[in-house]
Amino acid sequence: MPPEAKMLFWPAVTIVAYLACRALYRRRPGWYSSPLLTTPVVLILLAVMLRASYGDYLLGSHWLMAMVGPLTVAFALPVYEQRAMIRRHWLALSVGVAVGSLIAIASGYALARVLDLSPELRQSLLPRSVTMPFAMNVSGHVGGLPELTAVFVMVTGIVGAALGDFLLKWLPLRSAMARGALFGMGAHGAGVAKAREVGAEEGSVAGLVMILAGLANVAVAPVLITALA
Amino acid sequence: MSRRLALALKLKQILRRSRLVQLGLIVGFWWLGDVTARLTGLPVPGGVIGMVLMLGLLLAHGLGPASVRRGADVLLADMLLFFVPAVMGLLDHREFLGTLGLELFGLILVGTTLVMAGTALTVELVQRLVSRHAS
Repeated sequence: MPPEAKMLFWPAVTIVAYLACRALYRRRPGWYSSPLLTTPVVLILLAVMLRASYGDYLLGSHWLMAMVGPLTVAFALPVYEQRAMIRRHWLALSVGVAVGSLIAIASGYALARVLDLSPELRQSLLPRSVTMPFAMNVSGHVGGLPELTAVFVMVTGIVGAALGDFLLKWLPLRSAMARGALFGMGAHGAGVAKAREVGAEEGSVAGLVMILAGLANVAVAPVLITALA
Repeated sequence: MSRRLALALKLKQILRRSRLVQLGLIVGFWWLGDVTARLTGLPVPGGVIGMVLMLGLLLAHGLGPASVRRGADVLLADMLLFFVPAVMGLLDHREFLGTLGLELFGLILVGTTLVMAGTALTVELVQRLVSRHAS
């Protein structure tokens, strides 16, 4: 394929595949039909068939990935709209986010040690519980590979959304705050979608926890992860 | 004077209605954050600085939420699309198809269970303590 065609082909295919996968998800919602899983599967199969590398793919799709920056800015609106809830539950929210982030980084580090993973792989794993734009930023800063982190974040979201149902049955959680925080901290975007199905309050708590965890990790995780390494 | 006022009102109306103009405004915040991060050498991504700037303006009533809502909704509703290119990085990491992939999957499964259970129980505990204090 000539380079000009590649430049147009991959972003166009990405958008079409995403729209198709989103339509499928709306018909049959479930962890297995999440567009974050189905779209890459379709595109990777296509890329393998066409013998395209990640470099070929990125050539024209770079701007799509760059939209993660403005997306991060857009999160200011939901935070602004939830300001009353932040004021009311600031203690539970901040303690929950701090404990959750600590467990995420510490468990990732300990398990990576047990499995004897390379430092690069380990650093890429640590920010996996945070929503994608924040996680990729943290990973780059601590010597991980942002695209590996992206894969781990995706798997974490899918696993967490599926796990959440089981955990809700087993844990003695009376407050909607705790149920929402479970999804927002453990499974970021996919978890927020799941929490919305549990209840409206759970959904907005999950969204808020997800953003706060992202912010806390951008601020603190580089220091903590560098100290661990 | 009144013509200038009419022009200002017209501009405000465009800002309230147009998704594209609002998207441009949000990209502008990101750009501003990016420049700030580069000039100051702060270890914080430009998007986060842009977000803090926009949140500050919203809280200070320098910017009405209606002026960015449509633009923000476009980005937030389809945010998964913007994560797809990064996941394509798997193309350069075929080694994950074997045992290493299974090991990593196990790690994520155990780690995520701990994070979810730990966070939920902590929040539950804090909530119970707070409500006991209040009553």
